[in-house]
Amino acid sequence: MSFQTSLIRWWPCLALAVSPAFAADSDTAQLSKDPKNWAMQSGDLSNQRYSELKQINSKNARNLQVAWTFSTGVLRGHEGGPLVIGDTMYLHSPFPNKVFAISLEDQGIKWKYEPKQDPTVIPVMCCDTVNRGLAYANGKIFLQQADTTLVALDAKTGAELWKTKVGDPKIGETTTNAPHIFKDKLLTGISGGEFGVRGRIAAYDPNTGKLLWKAFSTGPDKDMLIDPAKTMTWTDGKMAPVGPDSSLKSWQGDQWKLGGGTTWGWYSYDPQLNLMYYGTGNPSTWNPRQRPGDNKWSMTIFARDLDTGVAKWVYQMTPHDEWDYDGVNEMILADINVKGKPRKALVHFDRNGFGYTMDRQSGELLVAEKYDPVVNWASHIDMKSGRPVVVAKYSTDKNGPDVNSKGICPSALGTKDQQPASYSPKTGLFYVPTNHVCMDYEPFQIEYTAGQPYVGSTLSMYPAPNSHGGMGNFIAWDASSGKIVWSKPEKFSVWSGALSTAGDVVFYGTLEGYIKAVDNKGKELWKFKTPSGIIGNVMTWEYKGKQYIGVLSGIGGWAGIGLAAGLTKGTEGLGAVGGYKDLAKYTELGGVLTVFALPDR
Amino acid sequence: MKILPLLLLASLATPAMARPNDFPTSGRMEYVLECMQKHEGKYEFLYKCSCVIDRIAEAMSYEDYVAMSTALRDQSLPGERGGAFRDPPSVKVMADKYKTIQANANKACHVQQR
Repeated sequence: MSFQTSLIRWWPCLALAVSPAFAADSDTAQLSKDPKNWAMQSGDLSNQRYSELKQINSKNARNLQVAWTFSTGVLRGHEGGPLVIGDTMYLHSPFPNKVFAISLEDQGIKWKYEPKQDPTVIPVMCCDTVNRGLAYANGKIFLQQADTTLVALDAKTGAELWKTKVGDPKIGETTTNAPHIFKDKLLTGISGGEFGVRGRIAAYDPNTGKLLWKAFSTGPDKDMLIDPAKTMTWTDGKMAPVGPDSSLKSWQGDQWKLGGGTTWGWYSYDPQLNLMYYGTGNPSTWNPRQRPGDNKWSMTIFARDLDTGVAKWVYQMTPHDEWDYDGVNEMILADINVKGKPRKALVHFDRNGFGYTMDRQSGELLVAEKYDPVVNWASHIDMKSGRPVVVAKYSTDKNGPDVNSKGICPSALGTKDQQPASYSPKTGLFYVPTNHVCMDYEPFQIEYTAGQPYVGSTLSMYPAPNSHGGMGNFIAWDASSGKIVWSKPEKFSVWSGALSTAGDVVFYGTLEGYIKAVDNKGKELWKFKTPSGIIGNVMTWEYKGKQYIGVLSGIGGWAGIGLAAGLTKGTEGLGAVGGYKDLAKYTELGGVLTVFALPDR
Repeated sequence: MKILPLLLLASLATPAMARPNDFPTSGRMEYVLECMQKHEGKYEFLYKCSCVIDRIAEAMSYEDYVAMSTALRDQSLPGERGGAFRDPPSVKVMADKYKTIQANANKACHVQQR
């Protein structure tokens, strides 16, 4: 787009945006306090994925039946889940990132939005064309498209209000994360850790799309919004300032420019502390020999002041990553007792297999324990330095390029990927979907080419040896002691987000396509086979006195999910059969949202 | 005379365990609908695809079918995720076994492999 056209295009928006110099607080947090809504992807600001609803409980969950289904018409992996506000559901799809507003009264489509995106973005997405969902605030729906366009839509009509680009797919930058609304800001990140992009997080004005601040994961202090004297990190058993050039000193030359540290996970926000939390991904490349140093601040938990973006504290979990253990997984905020002391805690289940409990105010490291006993790349986390104690034979750096390091647990998938865990304030436990997979890892030399994969490693994965033979577990975790309370084996990795409820039922989905309900002790109460594997997140809402459970299925990679729509032909037939057919009250082909409720008595 | 009852017992006992024929109607319907869709929705495939899934249901439990067909399908996932299904020998075995059973069922029911 030329400068002129962009000016013309932006004038009306600028004119409209003059009056609110400081945007008013969003209604999102307030809406999320009403358990009838599911107003944020994680249900609340704290990423707890917990609902106070209890019509569905551990006694009656076995009676759950399908209430309705909705198909997105897209045959790709479906992550995230819908939002529900009042009488309307807002649902997204993978690329091309359609958005549907669905009436809860009759499941009719109120409006549909489908952006025009250049399909050349598809090959630069490392891991399928997923999208993790929408955000809502003050009558607007926010969509972060694959091609890095951030869009605001009118929640009533679906009309475009503004849009802006947050990255450049030509250099491998794409976006898969859900945008997050915290107070008066719209936060978004970037994907492309496999393409040598430079990770960052950015805050936008939800009313205008104006950039408010941007903070990189790597590079000079001012780019990272790190204050060398005030940004703290765990050092020698206490918090200390990070000091000047903390990132620059941890890379060779200007490698930080291709440093990775992407930000495609689930962020959280503490309104009392005014701090937002998120994690950064792997450093590029996967061949560790090519990037000596700690590679800061990849693999890091960041706590930032929401207003200024300045980092309050940082903690690097996996310095100098040698296994692709991205640190982007969700940051769950919970007020719990840790070792007998009440703490404002942040709990994080990292890909590297350790479950971390931090003091979210100060950044102190409180607990770091393995949440899968097979984790072996590090013997433990040294609690004084906060660094993992790496086991030499699993060090792909020590073993070097073109050497196959065998038997490393977990695999590059991590003990858990982005699929978010749930915290029940009622039980005080965390319910965590996990991988139980190990790998052989062989790094090799690679040259950087913009827009090309910058991986530099081949790997081979298999179920954790000498265990139950399956590739996953669904576990309950005590974050104050760092112990597994119970563990339910699964044949395949659990890639769906969990939901816990006041009805003492915990839900999650499996790759076979089962949605499962278990009680607080992990006993299976109910399961139902949806049309495809589940990598979406289970959520719940109430409408007209009835509690509903919803989950997206659709794993991508195979044509079979089209079957949900019955006997019509392939997707290409959809548009062809009369223009607005899809606005009618019936479903399309593709990934499916299945909605469950208890039968009427 | 002595061998016969034993053989009978064996042939009854093993298949009874291997063939619980426990597929729910929805599981059979899903298969038939998808299979019909693959064949342009032609009505004859209602019979052919039903024949296939009934044979598959005789050969394995529903739980095994769900796991094995998942293993086969998810091998085509892109990236690391698919790797978790392509690499492990145990998953490969599951996928291959399912492929063979399905191929035999297709042959027996006049369904061209697609």
